[in-house]
Amino acid sequence: MVDFTLTPKDEYLVNIAREDSAIARKYARYYDQHHEELEPVELPEALGRPDPYALLEADPTGTSGPIVAQALLHLEYPDVRMRRDTNRFLGTKIIKYAGTPDQIERFGGMLLSIAISEPGAGSDPRAMVGTARYDEATDEWVLNGEKIYCSGFGEAAGAVVMLKGPPDERGVRPFCSFVVEKGTPGLQPLGQVDKMGMRAWDTADFVLQDCRVPSRNKLDADFKRMLMVFNGSRAMVTAFGLKTARNILDAVREDLVDAGQAIDYEQGRNARSVLQDRVIALEALHDATELLILHAKWSEQTNGLTDEGTMVEASMAKALGGMATRRITQECMELLGPRSLTEELLAEKWFRDARIFDIFEGAGEINRLIVARWLLNYSSKELN
Amino acid sequence: MITFDLSEEQELARAAMKGFGAGELRPIAQKLDRDSAISMSTLDLLWSTGLAQMQDAENKGECAILNAIVLEELAAADATLALALATPVAFAQAILDQGSPAQRQTLLPLFQGDGFHAAAIALMEPSFGSNVSMLATTAVRDGDGWRLKGRKTLVPLASLASHFLVIAQAEGERAAFIVDRGASGVRIEAPVPTVGLRALEMSDVSFDDVRIASAARLGEHAGSDVQRIIDSSRAGLAAVMTGLSRGVMEYVIPYAKDRVVHGSALASKQSVAFRIADMYIDVAAMRLMAWRAAFELGNRRNATRAAQLAYTYAARQSMLIADEGLQIFGGHGFVREHPIEMWYRNARAVSMLEGVAGV
Repeated sequence: MVDFTLTPKDEYLVNIAREDSAIARKYARYYDQHHEELEPVELPEALGRPDPYALLEADPTGTSGPIVAQALLHLEYPDVRMRRDTNRFLGTKIIKYAGTPDQIERFGGMLLSIAISEPGAGSDPRAMVGTARYDEATDEWVLNGEKIYCSGFGEAAGAVVMLKGPPDERGVRPFCSFVVEKGTPGLQPLGQVDKMGMRAWDTADFVLQDCRVPSRNKLDADFKRMLMVFNGSRAMVTAFGLKTARNILDAVREDLVDAGQAIDYEQGRNARSVLQDRVIALEALHDATELLILHAKWSEQTNGLTDEGTMVEASMAKALGGMATRRITQECMELLGPRSLTEELLAEKWFRDARIFDIFEGAGEINRLIVARWLLNYSSKELN
Repeated sequence: MITFDLSEEQELARAAMKGFGAGELRPIAQKLDRDSAISMSTLDLLWSTGLAQMQDAENKGECAILNAIVLEELAAADATLALALATPVAFAQAILDQGSPAQRQTLLPLFQGDGFHAAAIALMEPSFGSNVSMLATTAVRDGDGWRLKGRKTLVPLASLASHFLVIAQAEGERAAFIVDRGASGVRIEAPVPTVGLRALEMSDVSFDDVRIASAARLGEHAGSDVQRIIDSSRAGLAAVMTGLSRGVMEYVIPYAKDRVVHGSALASKQSVAFRIADMYIDVAAMRLMAWRAAFELGNRRNATRAAQLAYTYAARQSMLIADEGLQIFGGHGFVREHPIEMWYRNARAVSMLEGVAGV
């Protein structure tokens, strides 16, 4: 059965998330202007308010399913979180699927970021220069490198770090990953990154200088296994970006209604005003992205996170959504008019926030490579 | 709840129509385009798919999605032939959905036989700035009936149609009138050649004070929700455009992989590979948008926004896909040996129609 209807419980949870977003909006400008200050673990208003994510996790019966319903919540992403959101701690997710029972017990309850990017290595992790070498005498790994743009690292207890291991018999340095906890000698956090937008989103850099971790901190996760976490997070992050775009679209729609120019969806294209025609095109792009996100999440729910189809669909959603978020926010500024350039409105913040969504968690180009290689049956050598 | 599982019937129909399209429709598509006509035997072949006969008022929700699936598969083979079948089916759907019991009893049996039965919705009008929300064709009260006056354009297979469902302004709002081709004052012009969908033989049809009995207003005294007909058409056209776009993409891929340019396959060049990836993404999104509109219609919800967005999105993206697809073929894309130039022309045409097709 093809069905696009939210269940009553879906709606119930979404409404809570929507209210959360509306409440949190009051703090949007403050945290946009104080990026060095981490979002509070919880807003004062969270007291007495239910947590829709926790409710869903505790009991998904009556919803469209744990993963699809969660995607509906992602689509209500707030400017400032109501309470801690463990979804952004990708390191923790990796532990859960790649960790040994001992590692899951030891690290599974910690908030851990993922740390891959370096100043010289963004979409191409093979360019990374951070290293890990084994010290047999102490059964420790010695880690060196500089990691940047780590989401959640300011708040996290540590990170799952990807580094290049010792060269194998062919001279190739494999990727390996380690749990590194804050407080470990040799791990130096460098503070919050000063970004154009998403300034409330905890993003930090750190340096590893002869940082020693016990061998039990090494994960059995090669490059491919580490990156599997993005199968689930790509569609989620796309939803965050889409909400940013929706915020600004909503502002345009409100202005149109106030001006007595509410959109008439009945009309043909030659009858509508230029403004309305542009908004319709942007709404279509928004909804197309939303449907791809929901379909990707439905596939994940049905076929699992590691299924190839799930991976391709996550990339499809992210590729379209990254472009959609850019285009919608840029164009809606024009449609809102000059006042939207000022800080009196949040529109300019959403315009700044939106721009990262076609870059991080898999740039549009990378996601198109993933889709193209699968579609054309090309290896990464054949299509690079 | 949100799900995307197809029923077994939908899966079977999809597979059957895919095979039918590839085996029967695609091989004749270019010839039809050159001839600018579809033979009666081909029309009967389309009829044999059973699309007209299987329209089901009881199970409208699932049927609407099924219609969208079938239209996509037929259009992936050839959009002109898909629309040739969709045209009378849309007429029948409107009667089934909103006709009075008498209207259903009289007209629906026409669409249950083995041979193609032509009928069409007449919505579009020829003048610049013409708008489906405010039509120039009018129906004025005449006794207990009406007088219909106006000119409709691009009515598919009008020369064959037994009836037209004419959308007109009647007492300040839009209404639909069932008009017999033979009624006095009905003039069906000869088909005008068009840039795309050439074999669809679209004509202007004018109505010069045509007398319409009150029993011929769709829904009779209850009237009808004309917007629902337009919404259904937009959803159906979105499904057709999804198929057309997919057909372009599926044709482009093997060519781009085989064609060697500057030492490597065209498809292995990032710019080309990315364009193809974008085609795939757009087709997937278009399909979901069309299904959502079909779903809303099938479940008797207000589908106007969903249908508009599905249509608008598919219109823009299908033109873009046909355009990029042609570009990938280079000079070969511009000559008539390959079907790609035909799909470019068809894409332009389908993306500008209203009132044809339905779910």
